[in-house]
Amino acid sequence: MTTGKFLVFAWNWNLWVIAICVVAISIHGAWHRFRFSRKSGWLLVGMAVFFLTMGSPIDALANGYLFSAHMLQHLLLLLVVPPLILLSFPSTPVPDRFQIGRWKWLNWILRHPVATWLLGVGGMWLWHAAALCNAAVTSAWVHRLQYVSLLLMGVAFWWPIIGSWPRQRLSPLAGIIYLFSACVGCTVLGIIIAFAPVGVCSIYLHPVDRLGILPLIQNQWGLTPAKDQELGGLLMWVPACLIYFCGIVGLFARWHGETGDEGNTPESQLIKTLVEEPHGH
Amino acid sequence: MSAAASASAATETPQRASASHGLYSWVATVDHKRIGILYLLTALVFFAAGGVEALLMRVQLARPNNTFLSPNAYNQLFTMHGTTMIFLVVMPTLFGLANYLVPLMIGARDMAFPRLNALSYWLLPCGGLLLHFSLLAGGAPAVGWFSYAPLSEMPYASTNGVDYWGLSLLILGVGSVATSINLIATILTLRAPGLTIRRLPLFVWMVFVNSFLVLLALPALNAAIVMLFIDRHLGANYFVPTHGGSAVLWQHFFWAFGHPEVYIMALPAFGIISEVVPVFARRPIFGYEFVAGSTVAIALLSFGVWAHHMFAVGMGHPMDLFFAATSMLIAVPTGVKVFAWSATMWGGSIRLTTAMLFAVAFLIQFTVGGLSGVTFAVVPIDWQVTDTYYLVAHFHYVLFGGTFFAVFAGLYYWFPKITGRMLSERLGKFNFWIALIGFNTAFFVQHFLGLMGMTRRIYTYPDLPGWGLLNMISTIGAFLLGASVLVLLWNILASVRRGKPAGDNPWRAWTLEWAATSPPLAHNFIRVPPIRSRRPLWDLAHPQNPDPIVGGVAAREEIVFEKNQAGMASFLISEGMFFLMLILAYLFYNNHAMSGPTPASTLNPQRAGIYTVCLLASSLTLWLAEKMLKVKKHSTFRLLLGLTILLGVVFLFGQGREYIRMFHDGVMVNSNLFASTFFTLTAFHGLHVCAGVIALMIVMGLALAGDFKQGRIEAVKSIGLYWHFVDVVWLLVFALIYLRLLL
Repeated sequence: MTTGKFLVFAWNWNLWVIAICVVAISIHGAWHRFRFSRKSGWLLVGMAVFFLTMGSPIDALANGYLFSAHMLQHLLLLLVVPPLILLSFPSTPVPDRFQIGRWKWLNWILRHPVATWLLGVGGMWLWHAAALCNAAVTSAWVHRLQYVSLLLMGVAFWWPIIGSWPRQRLSPLAGIIYLFSACVGCTVLGIIIAFAPVGVCSIYLHPVDRLGILPLIQNQWGLTPAKDQELGGLLMWVPACLIYFCGIVGLFARWHGETGDEGNTPESQLIKTLVEEPHGH
Repeated sequence: MSAAASASAATETPQRASASHGLYSWVATVDHKRIGILYLLTALVFFAAGGVEALLMRVQLARPNNTFLSPNAYNQLFTMHGTTMIFLVVMPTLFGLANYLVPLMIGARDMAFPRLNALSYWLLPCGGLLLHFSLLAGGAPAVGWFSYAPLSEMPYASTNGVDYWGLSLLILGVGSVATSINLIATILTLRAPGLTIRRLPLFVWMVFVNSFLVLLALPALNAAIVMLFIDRHLGANYFVPTHGGSAVLWQHFFWAFGHPEVYIMALPAFGIISEVVPVFARRPIFGYEFVAGSTVAIALLSFGVWAHHMFAVGMGHPMDLFFAATSMLIAVPTGVKVFAWSATMWGGSIRLTTAMLFAVAFLIQFTVGGLSGVTFAVVPIDWQVTDTYYLVAHFHYVLFGGTFFAVFAGLYYWFPKITGRMLSERLGKFNFWIALIGFNTAFFVQHFLGLMGMTRRIYTYPDLPGWGLLNMISTIGAFLLGASVLVLLWNILASVRRGKPAGDNPWRAWTLEWAATSPPLAHNFIRVPPIRSRRPLWDLAHPQNPDPIVGGVAAREEIVFEKNQAGMASFLISEGMFFLMLILAYLFYNNHAMSGPTPASTLNPQRAGIYTVCLLASSLTLWLAEKMLKVKKHSTFRLLLGLTILLGVVFLFGQGREYIRMFHDGVMVNSNLFASTFFTLTAFHGLHVCAGVIALMIVMGLALAGDFKQGRIEAVKSIGLYWHFVDVVWLLVFALIYLRLLL
């Protein structure tokens, strides 16, 4: 098999993934009466990334062949798709059922940055414990659980920064510390993986060659298991931090973009976000 | 918040009347202005030393096959020149300026912790003398300013030079971290009313961001030096490849510090330029938000680019690829700044004072240095020109053509404020033109020498075509540069005595320091003018045409910080980085099998679990103690505090018994890399627990003496933060070292 052929034929037209994309876009469209706005743009990009993550050759490679592809998938699911989805949400006051109703516990988590931080960064660490990492490749159910949990933890992680309840967002300086410390957390894991002896996720040492692409990967691309793991660690180390970095730049821009006339009270901000096109950049 | 905070700061630092005159008053001072001046003067002395070292090297290199210096003397000179210029000149100069100016620019009475400030300063001459003492004690270090292992290990560097180098850098590192803690606490808590963070002068903002860089970067160097010491004196093998160590790890540690260090030396210089350029172009800075934001971007990215110093080491393609990409990326925010400064000058009515001339030259030379820097991000070019004179030219364009020119600009700009007298503009112009010509003559030709293949750090070279000529030109330039510094010195000496009186605001500048008298009063301000924008003095002078109000009339900060806790939190950031380095070293060396003692054969997780529980319980008791203090149950507070101390001591006792058991089994710090990393990590943690116990005992003493009854409990809270931090670190250590054995 050649690289070109692989890129053309290794797509995975998973019905679930397509259905999720279609449903999400339809709900968003109906909510906004099918008028295109910047928020719709965020959602479309988010869904496109989601589909690429789950359906493109990245998924085929992640499925037992390449540790680095699997890492890429994690990063996209945890750090890219959730914020894009969150950016497409309308800004609202905190609904009652999250304040006193039976979803109070959820709001408790979302209100506590330490908890969301631990979910976002801890999630990444947890899924790279050797046992869980291997289980996710061998068992389809663990694999699905992994996808869903990564997405949910990603949403929780980004909530204090760009969640749809502006009142509960972190202040800019605190947000910068929140994201920077997450970057440190990811960097440490990335460094550990990049420098560890090969076999952090031992299942990738001896892939079962279901698609017949192993010679392509190891000979033509030159991705031996050692290089593959180093690449995976580096992905977690450098680009992951760049995503947090984008978040920090966005926060800074939002902070300095606030005109702050009439005071910076949360109430006035809320009114502004409700009346105008909410700023979600 | 600021008014109350500054008031309390003022009452906390009484200036004794007897200590205001004579030499003793300078030794005993805690005034930020005097400390700032001391920093600058000390840096000047070391600048002379570093300059002479440079000139000696240039004399040696002026002709091919020269024998003016011996190879060993040459090695010592370039090591001392680099170390001196970076740690004893550039950093102290920038800290000195920050010390002098930050409180004035934010309308504060002094720094947040004046005594700590004095300590940080006095560590500087201490470290500097220690480094130079090596000359009398068997020879200066001769291993280059980055002391690459294994060259810096005992077998290859058996004199004490490297030890003096390391000790001095540790001391200077402690001083730098303390200064940064002080600056962060000052900027967070002592701003005048109305001076919100978004209204900060850019110099203050950049010093603020820079302080975080220092907090995060210096610990990497400190940790590496500690390991090097353990190698050299306790026989461990951290960086000795023949015994399982990793020389490349030293490089990683060093450059994880070293690259942020480049920006530590650049950001405050950017800050100076951001103050000087608008004042002499008579326009507010173009794109304040972009200049401020790009500073944050540079600071963050600077931690993700260090491995570009190691392309030639052979890290492999994946590593090279990623670090080449980030290294190119960091050029973007730097470029944003250059554009912002240029755009500020565009259409302004520029006054070409000496300060402005230096600023303009900075802009051009720094851009040249930045562009040659980008070429190093291209891996194949790096392979070709790394460690040649092309590199020497590059970093001198950044550090001399950039940072030093900015410092000169700042010196001409703020000298009137510091002394009350103007520097002579006539001598200033001389100073500038000689420096400009000298600098470019000395270093521009080095680009060519490097491309022709002349490597750095060679004590002489064969008579190849062109080499002798270019080197001679470079040497002549270096001497011109030296002459320009003499002009500056002459200018300073003459102007201090007979300079034109400056008045409060000779440049018609806009930031708060110019509202104080020149030189400022001991307590800085009688009254701080109202602040509603980034240029309060412009608003004061043009009430009918003020700047737009930044951030709303009733601008409130979102978070109000308490001084002691801000200081402690900054300290803990730095401590966290230090432990992170030790933990990473432990993981790195213990991820493969080795001969000798192993965790499984020596450690007992169950026993360790017991004293771990004690330590964790002590966090709980301290937390409860704080609660009790808040509701004024003083006897319960003392009881819980005592319990906390007891639990801490039990932990230390448990760890001590484990050590004794290990020693008994013959496991020593030099047994193998597991033992080295284990003892280093746990012993440093144990030291921190000891420090915590002592601090808690002091709190206990204060409590018994009846303190805290008036409700001032910040001390307890800060020590509490420290204690919880130490516990969290242990939790990580316990999980990584002991719990792994149970899995």
